[in-house]
Amino acid sequence: MAGVTSQTILVVGGGIAGVTAALEAAETGYDVVLLEKEPTLGGRVSRFNRYFPKLCHPTCGLEINYQRIKKNPRLQVMTMAEVAGISGERGNYTVTVKTTPRYVNAKCTACGDCAKATDMEVANSFNYGLDKVKAAHLPHEHAYPMRYVVAPEAVASGEGEKIKAACKYGAVDLDEKEATFDLNVGAIIWATGWRPYDPQKLTSYAYDLSPDIVTNVEMERLAAHDGPTHGKIVRPSNGEPAKKVALIQCAGSRDLNHLPYCSRICCLGSLKHAAYVREQYADATVDIYYIDIRAHDKLEAFYNRLRRDPQVNFVKSKPAHIIVGEDGRPVLCGERTIDREIYKEPYDLVVLATGMEPSVVGGFAPTVGAVVDDYGFVLPEIGDGEGIFSAGVAGGPFDVSMSAQSATAAALKAIQAVRADGA
Amino acid sequence: MTAPAPDTTRKYDLAFAKWVYKNVNGGDKLSMCMQCGMCSGSCPIGVQMDYGPRKLFMMIRAGMKEEVLSSNTLWNCTSCYRCVVRCPRSVPVTYILQDLAAKASELGYAPKKENKRFADSFWWSARLFGRTDERLVTAKYYFSFGLSEGIKRGLDNLKIAMGMIKAGRMHIGMPHTVKGRKGLQAALKKAAEIEARQSGV
Ligand SMILES: Cc1cc2nc3c(=O)[nH]c(=O)nc-3n(C[C@H](O)[C@H](O)[C@H](O)COP(=O)(O)OP(=O)(O)OC[C@H]3O[C@@H](n4cnc5c(N)ncnc54)[C@H](O)[C@@H]3O)c2cc1C
Repeated sequence: MAGVTSQTILVVGGGIAGVTAALEAAETGYDVVLLEKEPTLGGRVSRFNRYFPKLCHPTCGLEINYQRIKKNPRLQVMTMAEVAGISGERGNYTVTVKTTPRYVNAKCTACGDCAKATDMEVANSFNYGLDKVKAAHLPHEHAYPMRYVVAPEAVASGEGEKIKAACKYGAVDLDEKEATFDLNVGAIIWATGWRPYDPQKLTSYAYDLSPDIVTNVEMERLAAHDGPTHGKIVRPSNGEPAKKVALIQCAGSRDLNHLPYCSRICCLGSLKHAAYVREQYADATVDIYYIDIRAHDKLEAFYNRLRRDPQVNFVKSKPAHIIVGEDGRPVLCGERTIDREIYKEPYDLVVLATGMEPSVVGGFAPTVGAVVDDYGFVLPEIGDGEGIFSAGVAGGPFDVSMSAQSATAAALKAIQAVRADGA
Repeated sequence: MTAPAPDTTRKYDLAFAKWVYKNVNGGDKLSMCMQCGMCSGSCPIGVQMDYGPRKLFMMIRAGMKEEVLSSNTLWNCTSCYRCVVRCPRSVPVTYILQDLAAKASELGYAPKKENKRFADSFWWSARLFGRTDERLVTAKYYFSFGLSEGIKRGLDNLKIAMGMIKAGRMHIGMPHTVKGRKGLQAALKKAAEIEARQSGV
């Protein structure tokens, strides 16, 4: 090995894992660059309504981290930036970074005048496309950095000029272009997280046939006060309250045709969704269809809490298919494996607990210094030359607390990798 | 569709599951089954089976040899393959049922079953003409139950038969045959020889 030429640690992905790893390393006294491809940090956690096991709002975990970032001069955050190439070895990696224009610079005060100036709307990716936002918008109310973004569609159509004219701080810059540059770093923490498994691939669950069949990540948005329904859990088809709800576990996970592994968090995610529904409607019933409930270690208490609710039923069965009934409601069909009966059960709302697929599947994966397993999870290449580590769901299907733990571990390993004495 | 209740006086053949794993085509994959119910829920004719595939597989594990080998599940499967396509553990459900049927037949469990009679009639026509002649297959099947039962079943279905003839779905006249019936029969003879050699009978 040529020795350590850079002690900077690069963290790729600004979800809870990447933010944690970056802070741990920076607060220990190392220079850190954090790259995030979206306009804001926070990753999937920002899109939750609340998170288990304590059902706290995502702000509670993220806000304190954002305060730590603001206070730390060693940590440099770059949003709308992703990795396009990696070469080199431990202590001396050259990383090619590609940035996408935000069309809004650091002068932005988040006053919102630009959004008022335009009527143009684009699909709201924060809400998984369930509603629309203005072409100039804040990614969400808890964005970091707290800065607007202008949709490329607006720039292309000329609407950008109107938006620019409305900004009294000169923060809108329509001339921003895509750019690439190189960074020299000593170690890399891969924390690119996950995306929901594509429900359209689960053909027998008829996701496309009814708006009342949604995924678990969409359910988070339906329950969130800043979501498309302002937090009311309703049937997307007609806006009526969803009082008979089915939650389907392992929608894609533990399935050799889809994700062969257990995504680990979906059982708890669905228990949380049952709690959301029951909080909103005293007369609602929730049926959870499962193969096994996997509420690991300390999370079992949350499971037991929901089991005590007589209006939450646990049905051991992997539903075979969903059809749309004559009244338009989705109907679940399958076999209950305990009483061995075939059922056909209509619901107001069906939630598919789709699993977590690593972001590197179909995206960029580190080409040196790491191995990508059969499922797309990134693991360090074991040996003396270890310089690339993974944190959070990039490395395995973890919940938030496990992601944070793996991030701290990755920070420590990255620090060891860039220390000139190799200790 | 209720499975036999557990019975402490019943004899369970604990070696049966292992025998299936080893001897039945696809049986080695049976240990992958996690009893999720996807197959039984997906089966278009599951309600017409003594036990759906999931239940049958559990019974295999439980050593319920008699019930498994004499169940109509093996014979009612239409090989639509929906269960195979959907099984999250890649258990080749259809193959297992097909080969269990063959094994059940070899072991003398099947002949009582209607399905076996039908399969025999079907095969008789296919072997003889290279095609299935609906009239003859049906007649052979009906009369396999005896003369009076054959006449009764025939009369019961006369209306359907007339309708089918009218709609051109069933022809009258000589049975259709394939070209080169001699070749077909030679091929079948050869296949039977190979099969006999391979199964060591
Ligand atoms: C429905 C559902 C509910 C859940 N609820 C809970 C819960 O209540 N409690 C809990 O503990 N866990 C929950 N989880 C699990 C939780 O979502 C994960 O543990 C958590 O998101 C992991 O964080 P992460 O930082 O590893 O990944 P992510 O949150 O996915 O963050 C990764 C970040 O990396 C960015 N990125 C991706 N690729 C690149 C790239 N090439 N370059 C730069 N940046 C990139 C992404 O934009 C993203 O910001 C839930 C999961 C699901 C599916």
